Amino acid sequence: MSPFLATIRTSFRRQLTYRAANISGLLTNLMFAFFRASVLIALFNEREAVNGLTVQGAVTYAGLTQTLIGYLSFFHWFDMMQTVYDGQIGADLLRPLNFFTYWLGIDIGRAFGALLIRSLPLFLVFALFYNITLPGSFLQWLAFILSIFFALLISFSWRFMVNLAAFWTPNALGIGRFVFGMSWTFSGFFLPLALFPRWLAQFARLTPFGAGVYIPIEIFLGLITGKELLQGILIQVFWIILLLLLDQWILSRGVRKLVIQGG
Amino acid sequence: MIHALRLLARMYRVQIRSQLQYPLSFIMDLLSSALILGFFFVAFALTLTRFESIGGWTLGEVAFIWGITEFSFGTMDMVFSGFDYDSFGPIIRKGQFDQLLLRPANITLQVLGSRFVIRRLGRMAEGLLIFLFGLSRIQLDWSLLKILYVPLLSISQILFFGSLFIIGATTTFWTMERLEILNIFTYGGAEVMSYPMHIFPRPIRMIFTYLVPSIFLSYFPAVYLLGKPDPLNAPAFISFLAPVIAMLMLWLALRFWRFGIRNYQSSGS
Repeated sequence: MSPFLATIRTSFRRQLTYRAANISGLLTNLMFAFFRASVLIALFNEREAVNGLTVQGAVTYAGLTQTLIGYLSFFHWFDMMQTVYDGQIGADLLRPLNFFTYWLGIDIGRAFGALLIRSLPLFLVFALFYNITLPGSFLQWLAFILSIFFALLISFSWRFMVNLAAFWTPNALGIGRFVFGMSWTFSGFFLPLALFPRWLAQFARLTPFGAGVYIPIEIFLGLITGKELLQGILIQVFWIILLLLLDQWILSRGVRKLVIQGG
Repeated sequence: MIHALRLLARMYRVQIRSQLQYPLSFIMDLLSSALILGFFFVAFALTLTRFESIGGWTLGEVAFIWGITEFSFGTMDMVFSGFDYDSFGPIIRKGQFDQLLLRPANITLQVLGSRFVIRRLGRMAEGLLIFLFGLSRIQLDWSLLKILYVPLLSISQILFFGSLFIIGATTTFWTMERLEILNIFTYGGAEVMSYPMHIFPRPIRMIFTYLVPSIFLSYFPAVYLLGKPDPLNAPAFISFLAPVIAMLMLWLALRFWRFGIRNYQSSGS
């Protein structure tokens, strides 16, 4: 087995062993999904649809965003940064695997593990409580699956880049919190972007955060189809390529500069 | 008592100095918490203007209770952050709590002083702004009692949220790890308390009435302060229970905390 696949497998298994943490996280996300769904229902208050978004769609939205939190882990990830500070990175750079690829493998394993034991059960339970919207065709399912995989790549390469700040400063945590915070706001995590003013929603979905969180949900709810759907996927591809290139470039400069502490 | 306060002040001073060591990082932290949480409100406000009202409450009325809750939670998160189970868990796991127990000072005081997160000023400022925004949009029928009750409500909320943190920290004596599930009642509770709580379905309301009595610290007081009709038809005096409930929670939390310490077994690492 290639080192990359082995990394994914190990990380996947490790994720599955955190049973208590996963269940605890699942219940937390589920409750938050209930809170947000209740607020949306109260907002719609008998209205059928607003800006093409139905109440049912909005409720599904609340469930989906909470479902994706564990899988995408978009807004809280300091693992790589930690290895810079504790010296572990010295060993990681010597692995028979490119440093970026190594972490990508770790993250894919983590994400699939979370998807299996945290995200999927959460969505299934949520679906028992609410009437939800599901993709209507095989093609729509396929587009959604492709799109959440792309979303993971965007999420990872973005988080990796933020963590690279640790190569330059001894306190990248503050920078990380700031940047991750900013990403929250444009991802559409709080409330469906469709309910925002049009210009704001359009801007948000062009950012990597909107592309990572909102576009897969749009596809799932059928808010975008055909040409628009293709456009959405292209926005994702654009961000993946750009972020990957940036990651490689910053990493290669960072490694030359890195001073490993402790170890 | 004076000695204790002096000790606490000293611990806070150390904390503040160390947190200001990286000014850029500090400022970004300050801005980020204010902006992010502030944006959550802006997003909600933009959405609400599309719908006009939520559960019969206008944007100004929601902002009023949202702002108070944000301010209180931010303040609590600064003062009680020693009990923040996110950071207290590792202290237990690494056996650092044993060190604290050996020191010749009150253990509760030491934990309280062990962490003082000044970047929470961002959230406090954000809450205050939302509160003022709310005030500017509503015609409140002020009375002396109401003027006095607003700060008292905020203090009650601070102690209430603080109690939840103390309970959360205490659970880590047994679990060794932070339980994410507690976020439902702390962060989730604060979120639920920011809305007119009658909009939530009965099961959620029951949880936040009987399991964790959050509703007495936001919805009921707000009904009185804002003069809103109460679809839940609670007797009028319920609006004034906030300080009582807060003191009760704090008392319970501290008892649980002491019980936890008595039964504490070191992780041994």
